[in-house]
Amino acid sequence: MAETDLQIEEKKAVQAGGESTRDFPVFIPAVDIYESENALTLLADMPGVPIDKIDIDLDSDQLTIRGTVPQQELKGKVIFKEFTYGDYYRQFTLSSDIDRGKIEASIKEGVLKLVLPKAEAAKPKKITVQST
Amino acid sequence: MAIFRYPNWRWPDLPGAMEDFERARRQMDRLLSVFSGGTETAASSGVFPPLIVTEDEDKIYVEAEIPGIKAEDLEISVVGRTLTLSGERKPEEAQEVNYHRRERKWGSFRKALTLPEDVNAEAVKAECKDGLLKLVLPKPEHVKPRKITINGQ
Repeated sequence: MAETDLQIEEKKAVQAGGESTRDFPVFIPAVDIYESENALTLLADMPGVPIDKIDIDLDSDQLTIRGTVPQQELKGKVIFKEFTYGDYYRQFTLSSDIDRGKIEASIKEGVLKLVLPKAEAAKPKKITVQST
Repeated sequence: MAIFRYPNWRWPDLPGAMEDFERARRQMDRLLSVFSGGTETAASSGVFPPLIVTEDEDKIYVEAEIPGIKAEDLEISVVGRTLTLSGERKPEEAQEVNYHRRERKWGSFRKALTLPEDVNAEAVKAECKDGLLKLVLPKPEHVKPRKITINGQ
């Protein structure tokens, strides 16, 4: 058996909150969030979202990501169906101060990458101890 | 005191036991959601990637969600009626970072599917865009339904 065999992670539907006007399911994307000395990086799986349909909003400490999947036309009759197309929506509360002007977002192979650089004040400061 | 990291811990002499539990859990969930009047859930095989297979008179269409997989890390083959998708989802290389959340999965995968009809393997088209894979598998002439015209006298 391989070290890690990939299994399907069933998509989780958004339960409450702002209901969509579009009759289309909305899912919670799986994310990785990691912090380095200078930035907070967020990766979100959003297959089917084109680059121009991604919406990122930072309102005080509330970060909202939204991805819209264009309507997918299934051709012919369905034989087998393991997933449903839908939009993505997720909200986070950020703890550290972010330098808003320098946020970078990119999307590659359906994975959103958001780099949120920390504001100068939030960066750890090294204090040099001088020996006398 | 010995400290074990949970993800590395395995059932001794029971390979695949956790996968079996996981499959049983999924089936229970599906059953319960049907009983409680939930929406239609896909009858999932549990093997990555999730697929949608549709067909019309001339073609079979296969769509898969494969976020984060580069085209070169994906292998698609058609042998007879068996379509096989295999590849690897690689983790992002990040060094000296603290993970706050780690929900995205990685690893290798292999999924084989028996197609409902013969296909012309030479003419299969594959397109990978925004983390979606779309395959078009044309049916050969002999399996296409033929219209028979009735000659009146």
